[in-house]
Order: sequence, then C-alpha cells, then structure tokens
Amino acid sequence: MNKGDTFEIAFSVTESIYTGFMQLFKDENPLHANKSFAQSKGFNEEVMHGNILGGFISYFIGECLPVKNVIIHAQEIKYVKPVYKNDDLVLKAEVSDVFLSVSAIAFKFCFENKRTANIIAKGKIQIGII
Amino acid sequence: MLQTNQLNEVMETVNGIFIDVLEDDGIVVKYETTAADIAEWDSLNHIALVVAIEKKFGIQFTAKEIQDFKNVGEMCEGIILKLQK
Repeated sequence: MNKGDTFEIAFSVTESIYTGFMQLFKDENPLHANKSFAQSKGFNEEVMHGNILGGFISYFIGECLPVKNVIIHAQEIKYVKPVYKNDDLVLKAEVSDVFLSVSAIAFKFCFENKRTANIIAKGKIQIGII
Repeated sequence: MLQTNQLNEVMETVNGIFIDVLEDDGIVVKYETTAADIAEWDSLNHIALVVAIEKKFGIQFTAKEIQDFKNVGEMCEGIILKLQK
C-alpha cells in the first residue's frame, strides 16, 4: 500500500447488527433502545451505538485491505452526526502515511451517510504489517 | 561533525515526544537511554515512538537504521544526519 491509496466500502446498519450489538454488549441505554427517550433528546429515533462503526472499521482492516497480515495499533474516531437504523453508510479511507521503518501504515477515514452525503464520523487508524 | 547544541536540541524535542507518547511527564531521556531504562517502552510503544519522531522531524528511517541504533543518543544523531541531507 502506498500513500494516497483510497478505499470505499458500503455498510448498512441493519436491524440484526443493531440488536446483535445490544445483545452482545448489553448497552441498552435508552438513547439506543427507547425511541421516545431518544426523541425527547432531539433525535429522530433510537441512535445507533457509535461502536457499531468500530465493527465496520474492524471489517475494513481485517477483510478489505490487499494484505491479511495486519494488526490495528491505534484508532481514533469522532462522531459528527447520529446514525439511525437502516442507514446506508460509505466508509472512505485513504493511506495518509507509510512508516517503512516499523512496518506501519496510517489511514484517515470518514463515514458518509449515503442518502444525505453528510459525514457522520471521521478519524484515524494506524495498523502494523505483521 | 555534529554540534553539541544541535544534539541537545534534538534530544529535548525527542524527550517531549517520549513524554507525549508514553504519557509520563517524569521521563528524562539521556544519550545512553535504552528501552530497558523506561518501563513503558514496550514493542507497541516503540512503533508509536518511531512514528511520532518521523512525523515530527519529517524524516523516514529504514528498518535497519532503527535496528542499529543502540540508544536514544544514536537515534538523535541519526535524526540530525537525516535533516542535513
């Protein structure tokens, strides 16, 4: 991989991802699980867990790169707008730096909402080639 | 020939990077400091340190150069040599 290489992967926040995440991690905070509560706080409906995007990043690094011998060193994500159930997202990532001395690659990325074209989260990931 | 004040300046900058990356305000690196002297300097933090140093100085080391540095001082001299090229 070289600096400037880009990747685009589509994801959908499906019902099964939403319920599966809640069942696995037991985060049933009313912002995620109660529509009325979420609406009382100014959101359209239940807000999806931010770390669902972390799962999508895991898939991107683990399954979508041209090599499989990778490990995540660090990642940073800023949430910009809420994600709702059945939103279609696009992860856009770009290789921002290559550190040959320590076999590390840095990416900057953002998630866009496919329908609105709004950026809903952005951040950085650093991986190692093992 | 490397100037002592130039080495001291780079050592000071590198010390700041160690403090930031290892999140320990008490770190004071010397010329002869090695990973054995700093508990937080493990293999993962080693990568983070090299990445931060390369970004800060706008340089790139090779894997062999990194392996050949015996201590922080030698790495700082390596930084200066890269900056002079």
